[in-house]
Amino acid sequence: MTLTESPSLLVAGIGEMVLSSSSDAHLVAYGLGSCIALAAWDPRAKVGGLAHFMLPNGPANGGSPVKFIDTGLDNFLRAMEAKGAVLNRSTFKAAGAAAMLTVGGGLAIGKRNADAMATALTERGLTLTATALGGNAGRTVQLEVADGRFLIKSLSSVSEL
Amino acid sequence: MTLTLSEAGQNVVAASFGRAMKRAGEALGSMSGQVIEVQTPMLKRCTAADVLAMAGGPESVVLAVYVGINGSLQGHALLLFSPADAHRLAQILLAGLLGPGELPMEESSDVLNYDELELSALQEAGNVTISAFLNELGTHLHEPVMPTPPQVVIEMAGAVLDAVLLDLVSDADQVLAAKTMFSEGGRAIDGTLFVLPRADSLRVLLDALGAIGI
Repeated sequence: MTLTESPSLLVAGIGEMVLSSSSDAHLVAYGLGSCIALAAWDPRAKVGGLAHFMLPNGPANGGSPVKFIDTGLDNFLRAMEAKGAVLNRSTFKAAGAAAMLTVGGGLAIGKRNADAMATALTERGLTLTATALGGNAGRTVQLEVADGRFLIKSLSSVSEL
Repeated sequence: MTLTLSEAGQNVVAASFGRAMKRAGEALGSMSGQVIEVQTPMLKRCTAADVLAMAGGPESVVLAVYVGINGSLQGHALLLFSPADAHRLAQILLAGLLGPGELPMEESSDVLNYDELELSALQEAGNVTISAFLNELGTHLHEPVMPTPPQVVIEMAGAVLDAVLLDLVSDADQVLAAKTMFSEGGRAIDGTLFVLPRADSLRVLLDALGAIGI
């Protein structure tokens, strides 16, 4: 798989989200390590969103809308609804949350991100339908708004959720 | 947090990097039996976002040697190479240790494929280079700076850096980035050394070097 380069390529940098209802839109987050990307897709409205979270919790006024899962998830969900998505018929998939560095102790952010995402979605009555979380490999992810495919690329493999 | 340095202060930091890299070259030379020089032709302070750009963007593949910093100074240090440059540096380091017939292929078809010997040599190169800088700091600080064992990662730059960058204050010029050139004979290899102090540690670091208030 080569990630598509086109005008409809929307990139979510760290702490950013991208959303689209355009059928040719590809939503991408590059080089996820311990960060976690949440992809949401409403199959009826054909609306997709991708959020690139950095940490489990932090202040709501931290600048970036989705830097923190606890304060940022609602920003993302509200943005999906504003685009016309209905949350309880949308699919949610997550990828990232790897442990890149094993030395140095306190870098186990990935695991905390994965746990925080599952908990935060459950609290809102939502569940993850597919995940590619953990491990020690970086990932680039791409959500295809046309059909909801969620592509995961690492240095050694390409897969689809 | 913004810490502004005078030109004299910046020169002090650059000089300390220069001294540390001279020692790193000596250590790598005695390790490999070669004459190796390490220079930092460019040193600058930058933000977390700049670090990703300097690494070639979040998806570009790098070989990174990571060392965590604990003790009186907290943070992270990373030495980054492009995969091809990492191979070339490993060649130089191993040439003095192995006979020519035992050397790994000069131009591997797969630049992401390193043998154990190469990874070990590169890990040590990173360790020596980063430790040289921490030792330089240690001569000025009165408390120990404790590095973690080094770890080598071959990965997308964004993936290596995101766990490290989240420790930083995003809008401050908190990272010290040094272009680092390893040379032996006519060969030169480019790396980038990033020293990423945690929020309160940049002042500690710059203060220790005597770069503040001059």
